[in-house]
Amino acid sequence: MKRKHREELPITERELNGLTADLDDAHHESLPQMRESLADWDTESVEDDGAFVRLVRGTASRRGFLLGTGAFLGGAALVAAGGGQAMAFASTPAGRNALSPQAKKLTGDLAVVALAASLENLAVATYQSGIQAANAGHLGAVPPAIVTFAMTAQSQHRDHAAAWNAVLSAAKKPKVTGVDLTVKNSVIDPAFAQVTDVTGLAKLALELENTAAATYLAAIGVVKSPAGVQTAATIEPVEEQHGAILNFVLGQYPVPNSFTPTTGARPTSDQIG
Amino acid sequence: MSIDDRQLTELIEQSQDTHSDAMRQSRESLPDLVEIGRAARADGEVDTTPSGVVRPVVLGGGALAAAGLGAAFTALLATPAFATASKDVQILQTAASIENLAVATYQTALTLDFIGGASANPVVKAFAMKTMSQHADHAMAFNAAVAQLGGKQQHQPDPTLLNVVNQAKAGLTGPGPVVDLAIELENDAAATYVKDVSALSNKDARNTTASIMGVEAQHAAILYAVKALLAGGAAGLIALPPNVAQLPAAAGSVGFPNSFYPTQGARPATEGASK
Repeated sequence: MKRKHREELPITERELNGLTADLDDAHHESLPQMRESLADWDTESVEDDGAFVRLVRGTASRRGFLLGTGAFLGGAALVAAGGGQAMAFASTPAGRNALSPQAKKLTGDLAVVALAASLENLAVATYQSGIQAANAGHLGAVPPAIVTFAMTAQSQHRDHAAAWNAVLSAAKKPKVTGVDLTVKNSVIDPAFAQVTDVTGLAKLALELENTAAATYLAAIGVVKSPAGVQTAATIEPVEEQHGAILNFVLGQYPVPNSFTPTTGARPTSDQIG
Repeated sequence: MSIDDRQLTELIEQSQDTHSDAMRQSRESLPDLVEIGRAARADGEVDTTPSGVVRPVVLGGGALAAAGLGAAFTALLATPAFATASKDVQILQTAASIENLAVATYQTALTLDFIGGASANPVVKAFAMKTMSQHADHAMAFNAAVAQLGGKQQHQPDPTLLNVVNQAKAGLTGPGPVVDLAIELENDAAATYVKDVSALSNKDARNTTASIMGVEAQHAAILYAVKALLAGGAAGLIALPPNVAQLPAAAGSVGFPNSFYPTQGARPATEGASK
């Protein structure tokens, strides 16, 4: 990503990097804790009984997605430009190797695990597309804070995807390397094709973050495995934090709700591939 | 300071509309608690305290004393069943106690000129006010859940965190220490609820708690960003909308330091439970 040149910098990078050094350490300290939680899945013999399917039965259409998550595209004056090219990564994801047939066979808690992994993969791919679009100069000037946001958020989504896939592996199921095709095809691809600047990209990212958080919140209500609930619970707040910073960057109040909603949660009927 | 007060007010009003929708959603998860709570309660009296009241909490060394050993003893005698309150009720009471403390802490912070007075950053002041209101909503929700499970509502602050706040009070001489304290409280609250959701046996209690944990995490994220900007001498960049082009690179990631929310700061389930 190209960083926008700044004539006036009221704070040094060294100062802020120093401030965040401890936080980086904290990030790494949280991983062992997560691995411990994942080990619990293994010993619990994750159930596969279909109780989960009712979790997020909902509209899989683009209209439903948009209505559920704020319909941000409706008022945006986005003009098509280079986004389509930038989206090439997400259009040809590693999902070609995804195990969609197997994923479709999963029921119960594991169906939600697969859905979660596919949403995380989609987030990783979408941020990658954004980074590539920025590098290609399709988004205009890109502020440095946006660069670090995109790269850090992408890294964390990659960690989340790995966590969910570890659950699948522990349950002797194939990993999900594909993305949520339902969301990608009906929402992300059309929207990304119209993204011409950082603001448009941030809005799209916010929708993805809200959707992931809502899905986890819904999952917490139906997952049977305590370790599954714990895994979702440690990830959902992180997606909410991504959303808070994106809201702030977009000039919107960063903590809009006293209670986070499940509106926009994805159903396990979403296609993965 | 580049801020349009009218725009900020409008944003908060929009946020309140959304908040009302979210409140309705939270309330929807509460009714099912009633029957389960009745079944879970083997004996004892039902607390009939009206729900939805967040009572003022006095911060200071005498807060617990003010509550009074005598009063506490009377309460204990009046509600013997709660000595053996269910685990879920204890968890929810502790959660309410954390929220009560948060409300009181923000309330106190807003009395400081550099947080709620003339010299305050308008965005910081608005954030403190809105956050205090959201914590009050959380306290109400937890107490409503407690009541519906047949427990005694908790209107006192978490005693351990109260000590933390009281010890910090003398050092609250500028925005930085206040933000530090707020981060600690928000992180502890979020960590507690992250841990609680897998410990709660009642599904509706779990859903209510889950819908709150992310909000505390969001508070922490914004506070981390504010802390970084204050520490870097860039208080002028704390604005809504911000001058994104001027924000330092680290500001983009300082708000979410962990891929997985840590639970090390989680408060014990019984810490704020009614005695």
